[in-house]
Amino acid sequence: MSNGPVLAIENLRTYFFSRSKQAFIRSVDGVTLHIEKGKTLGIVGESGSGKSVTALSTMGLISAEPGVIIGKIGLKTETVQKNLLRDLKDHVKINMSTGRIMSVYKDSLGWQKKINRLMKGIRGKEIAMIFQNPKLSMNPFSSIGKQIAESILLNTSISNRNEAKDKAIYWLEQVKMDSPRLRYYNNPYGLSGGMCQRAMIAMALSSEPSLLIADEPTTGLDATIQSKIVDLLAHLKTSFGVTTMLISHDIDVIKSLSDNVAVMYGGTVLEHGPARTILTSDYKYKHPYTAALLSSIPSQEHIREKKKLQVIEGDVLDTINIPDGCRFFERCNKVTDKIKEQCEHTEPDLREVFPGHKVRCFRFFRT
Amino acid sequence: MKKYSQISIKVSDFSEVPFWKKANTIDLICVGYGLTIFILVLVSYILGATDFLPGDPQKLNLALLMAPPGTEGHILGTDFVGRDILSRLIIGIQAYFLPGLLAIAISLILGTCFGVAAGYWEGWIDTIVTYTSNLLNSFPRLVLILLMVAAFKPDIYYIMIVVGITNVPAVASLVKGKIQFLKQKNFIEAAISLGLKTRSIIIKHILWHNCRAILIIQATLGMAEAILMETSLSYLGFGVQEPTPSWGNMVQAGSNYFLQGNFWPSTAPALAILFTIMGFHLLGDGLNNILEGKRNK
Repeated sequence: MSNGPVLAIENLRTYFFSRSKQAFIRSVDGVTLHIEKGKTLGIVGESGSGKSVTALSTMGLISAEPGVIIGKIGLKTETVQKNLLRDLKDHVKINMSTGRIMSVYKDSLGWQKKINRLMKGIRGKEIAMIFQNPKLSMNPFSSIGKQIAESILLNTSISNRNEAKDKAIYWLEQVKMDSPRLRYYNNPYGLSGGMCQRAMIAMALSSEPSLLIADEPTTGLDATIQSKIVDLLAHLKTSFGVTTMLISHDIDVIKSLSDNVAVMYGGTVLEHGPARTILTSDYKYKHPYTAALLSSIPSQEHIREKKKLQVIEGDVLDTINIPDGCRFFERCNKVTDKIKEQCEHTEPDLREVFPGHKVRCFRFFRT
Repeated sequence: MKKYSQISIKVSDFSEVPFWKKANTIDLICVGYGLTIFILVLVSYILGATDFLPGDPQKLNLALLMAPPGTEGHILGTDFVGRDILSRLIIGIQAYFLPGLLAIAISLILGTCFGVAAGYWEGWIDTIVTYTSNLLNSFPRLVLILLMVAAFKPDIYYIMIVVGITNVPAVASLVKGKIQFLKQKNFIEAAISLGLKTRSIIIKHILWHNCRAILIIQATLGMAEAILMETSLSYLGFGVQEPTPSWGNMVQAGSNYFLQGNFWPSTAPALAILFTIMGFHLLGDGLNNILEGKRNK
């Protein structure tokens, strides 16, 4: 088998149209990512930086508002190789007059049909997803075991109900659910948040996907359960070798689970590279945003010496009016006079500064 | 004292307990009462078909007009032309039951389809469904039925078709609201991302698991509503026509003699209507509590 990336997102743009402001909200604006087989890619960033929208675009779950998705999402696994966004933009019509967008019309039924056709055999079978809120992500009126068995019947070669049940119990065991035979009959409301998240992970893994998207799997949980879920994910990663796209705003979670890291800000990737180097605090080629993020985590030293934490000044980028220059320019504290002009007016591109490590910052290269 | 380690739990204790074992006693009584009414209706069909009635509901007996209850051969008495009230009462429900089922079937099937289409796909379908149901709701139902009767003939089936169609918006908006509520909880999104087919998401995860309770309740309430509708129409003289007995036209015919002291010809069917409608409402209420409300106690 060739060693190309399982998922290669190129220049993905997901825009939503805001009727009141007559402009696009550019939630994801030119994201380029790739995930190698068997590796875990962690995506970090503040709230509103487009992490979840990237994941939802990959799953084809963006439907609600009149929105546009442009770009290329290449999925390449042992059985499938295709672009998940092929011809999708034909379904959107944009009326422009004098440079302003007047209205956006979207043929949402056609769009939905197209996405369903593109995603047939991919959702579940090739890509599975773990959602933020485990309790809301399962049907409250059906037992968790049945739901897992349903996914097994649908997505694997097992077609016997009893076999599917045994397999579901096996997966519940794998995610370290206590007494899986009893829990098989529990409805989601009868389980705690952590248990529910375990069931969600079991459900996602049970269809044996090539790529697992974990969209903030630890957000809704309390701290002790969080660390247990992280341990579980680490254990699953070593024992099954699932390719994972892990989305979180918790840098510690990302640090302990991922091989590669992409740092997102304002809808775009600012830094992409191996986790070992990016997430250590004394590394030379580092985007100022990553550095600021890292220094805003309390370390043991901070606690011992009662130092104050560093704050990133300003607000998250307004994704309606994106400035011409670097997206992080207004909040950047490392701008030197030499590059200030350039930072303000031209946007740096994502460039390799070290083998396997890409940064979007003028401090490391010149155009 | 028993130690904790000695307590053994049978797996079967935790497997799916049938819902009637978890239910409240009062709810069970309500449902039991409603089901009794339902069975009585079926019994009346059997009695009517096998000619096992206490008397002939159509036979006039001019020698025994307005016989009070308890007269020999006529337990509930006779009406103003001497027909046996009890047998007319038993036959009377048959004027409603099948037409009522038709009305329920129309409203549930169409309402569910439109509700699912509007709630699940949204977009222009939602707009059309919403505006059409607003249009239907803004038109008085009684006027629509009178128009129907004037255009065709005062047949109970025509009336029930109109009742069914005018009930569609209510069911559609219920289903639509439920689906929009469910879409906020993202298990539907999760089901899509697992690769489930749209058909199985709608039928299994939305309708079967989450909407069956409201649909059953709508069905029982629809039955009660059909009976009430027919009664009020019969009172105006547009419902089931004489000599076919229905509770509505029995009340109407008997009411002329009510103030003269002959209360039984109208009271008996009125009480029958009361208990039947109460039965269907309690059935709906009890099923609601059992299926949806008081879970996990």
